[in-house]
Amino acid sequence: MKVIESLKIKEKVYIEQLENGLTIMLVPKATTNKKYVMWATHFGSVDNHFIMPETKEEVYVPDGVAHFLEHKMFEQESGKNSLDTLMALGVDANAYTTNNHTAYLFETTEHFMEALDELMDYVQHPYFTDENVEKEKGIIGQEIGMYDDDPGWQLYMNALDCLYEKNAIKIDIAGTVESISKIDKDVLYKCYNTFYHPSNMVMVLCGNFEVEKMLEEIKARLIKRPKQGEIKRIYAPEEKGIHQEYKEAYMEVSQPAFMIGFKDEVKKENKVQRHIAIEILMNMLIGKSSPLYQKLYQEGILLSQPDLDYEFTDYYAHVLLTGQSKNPNKVKEELLKEIQKQKENFDETHFERIKKKVYGDYVVEYNNISDIARMLLSDYFKGINSFDYIEQFQTVTAEYTKQILQEVFDEKQCILSVVKIK
Amino acid sequence: MKNQKREIKEGIQFHEITTNKFKTNLFAIFLSVPLTKEEVTKNALLTAVLRRGTKDLPSQEEISKNLEEMYGAGFDCGIEKSGDYHTIKFYLEIINEQFLPEKENLSKKGLELLLSIAFNPYTENNAFKEEYVEQEKEKLKQIIEGKIDNKANYALERCIEEMYPNSPYGLYKYGYIEDLKTITAKDLYEHYLKILQNSKIDIFASGQFQEKVEEIVKENENIKKLQPRNANMELENKKEERQEPKVVTDHMQVTQGKLVIGLDVLAEMPNMTYITMLYNTILGVDSNSKLFQNVREKASLAYVCSSNYIKRKQIIMIRAGIEIENYEKALDIIKEQLEDMKQGKFNEQEIESAKNLIYATIANIEEEQDTEISYYFGQELAKSNVTIEQYKQKIEEITKEQVVEIANKIKINTIYFLRD
Repeated sequence: MKVIESLKIKEKVYIEQLENGLTIMLVPKATTNKKYVMWATHFGSVDNHFIMPETKEEVYVPDGVAHFLEHKMFEQESGKNSLDTLMALGVDANAYTTNNHTAYLFETTEHFMEALDELMDYVQHPYFTDENVEKEKGIIGQEIGMYDDDPGWQLYMNALDCLYEKNAIKIDIAGTVESISKIDKDVLYKCYNTFYHPSNMVMVLCGNFEVEKMLEEIKARLIKRPKQGEIKRIYAPEEKGIHQEYKEAYMEVSQPAFMIGFKDEVKKENKVQRHIAIEILMNMLIGKSSPLYQKLYQEGILLSQPDLDYEFTDYYAHVLLTGQSKNPNKVKEELLKEIQKQKENFDETHFERIKKKVYGDYVVEYNNISDIARMLLSDYFKGINSFDYIEQFQTVTAEYTKQILQEVFDEKQCILSVVKIK
Repeated sequence: MKNQKREIKEGIQFHEITTNKFKTNLFAIFLSVPLTKEEVTKNALLTAVLRRGTKDLPSQEEISKNLEEMYGAGFDCGIEKSGDYHTIKFYLEIINEQFLPEKENLSKKGLELLLSIAFNPYTENNAFKEEYVEQEKEKLKQIIEGKIDNKANYALERCIEEMYPNSPYGLYKYGYIEDLKTITAKDLYEHYLKILQNSKIDIFASGQFQEKVEEIVKENENIKKLQPRNANMELENKKEERQEPKVVTDHMQVTQGKLVIGLDVLAEMPNMTYITMLYNTILGVDSNSKLFQNVREKASLAYVCSSNYIKRKQIIMIRAGIEIENYEKALDIIKEQLEDMKQGKFNEQEIESAKNLIYATIANIEEEQDTEISYYFGQELAKSNVTIEQYKQKIEEITKEQVVEIANKIKINTIYFLRD
């Protein structure tokens, strides 16, 4: 078993890869009464075109399948729903689908073993019928309707449409009413058999337990599956440059909302340093104490600090700054000016102060077990060791950060998505 | 006792929660006043103006820089309705010294900053700074107008408003645009001085501390200046009795209809809060609940259908997102569930699973710093002293008969529908 440790924040992760290919990450914590478990497959909304490992069949699946499958996994042959069974134990259980993974999780103080039984049972036993697949279409259709009314979601989808022409990240995670109408039980089984193989999955546990004992409990609940080769995923090739500079939508909102994006190149190396540097830069440019934010706040152009995000995987990377403003164009214009100013005259005092803040932000992530588990899981799918954010922190210098500023915050890679008042 | 409560002065309480579960220490200051139409907008504006500057750090930029220097201490403030109180809340979350790259006495600095934001604001000529007040008025106006952005919350707010047309709880926590216009920097400062004199003050510290936090609070100049006050306020609490439910429909551009049903719990019996909590859990909290099972799973009518118990007001709010044409159908199924509860059509299994869910919620209180503070603040306002262990025991003791008894004292007050 491999152990990684951070002395600074006093946390340890035990990592084991089983013979069947399943990776298990365990984070024991004596100070909590809870346990949090996530079991995830490397299968998300972008995986709509792939080659099945055994038959070598090339498959296209309708948009929204990963999410649909997530909904259907809870249904058991007995007619019971595993989510209900878990909830009835007082176990807080859930599942979610992102663009690159699907995760099943629960959190509990009591009835842990029964809950683990249930989780490992339902994830390993799909039960799809024509009827239960049909019925789900109504429920998911309502969920899609909910997103249609959500200005934040529209803003995001339009931003992605500006950044990329064909990238699969543009696919709505839930699909569309039209695309999910094409889903049937055969499609679901095909995806299940391909992507829900232990070698394509990872389990993360965090909370109050003994590592060795827990590992044995998990092993005892795994069903034998024949070995499986690699799944070939086919993605649209990476596009250089943005798709379009601007996109707007009209919705019933009180205040226009904006999302400013910068497209970044996908990098294989130094992902963590790059991320830390970008985190610092976003704060320096438009964070709470930045001259730009203060100015826009006083002019009433910004109401609060925009949300600052850097999203990246192996096939996309971009910065997103999201907020509300009566004048989104002005925000973008002023931001580009500020970027130019920093490129010419980088404020090192500001840099050092923000660096401290960003360190604090990383430490706070370790405040609760669900945040720890979620962070480990999403970093795992990005090929990152989460502790590197703490450990490599000091290596991010002003010099390096300046270089990233030049590379990433480029006017030619900048887009603007706006939701206006209807 | 995990939560140590001590009176600093009459009406000013200090609460210390010792816990080693977190990487941070959390401080909170709550100022509570009776909720009234005259003051609701002023309170909301005041919250926004206070965070703009202190005597020593006269601008938000200075405050932000200070917070960033403290390893990005998180500051937040907001305003909430706590039953018929209006509470201004200030929070500061700061990294525990053990996890810093270099040794530094951070917590004391953080607490002192929070105290000065709440009690030592930046002023000019016995008023708040004109510019800050005007800017915050503009922003608050936008927040009030922004009420319509989240349709589900808007529908909930509207239903509560209809349930309490002439009573404080029907007020919107951010106030009203027509009242906002006339507030001057001087008025607002006078209002603040009144709040300093009369509000109920609760100060919380949660985490592990190297020093005696109580001493830091007591010795703080701003605290020393405060006078004792009467913390037993008279709260206005009237509600119209309704024989028939009030039915309200609003129109707006939505693809999904938002149905909200407000219920009154008209019972007087020992432990009724706990029994109603169990009733509500069986009715609509999770995926095993009657509402979820019957409205979503069996009838496929909604993606969300749940209920929420507001114990300080003894009301339950049911919410569903539905296709507009399914209004009647959804309403009928929901009414059927209320009827089934009255007739005791729920089994031991449903009671057990609802109890399990509540136990999990109870176990979670200590696992989140702000949740734990909220729990003890709730106890403070309710003037009770139920420990987390006692809370669990009270749930264990509830019988089916008690739930049925409560069910028969629950009546629909208002049916609200937001549609296209």
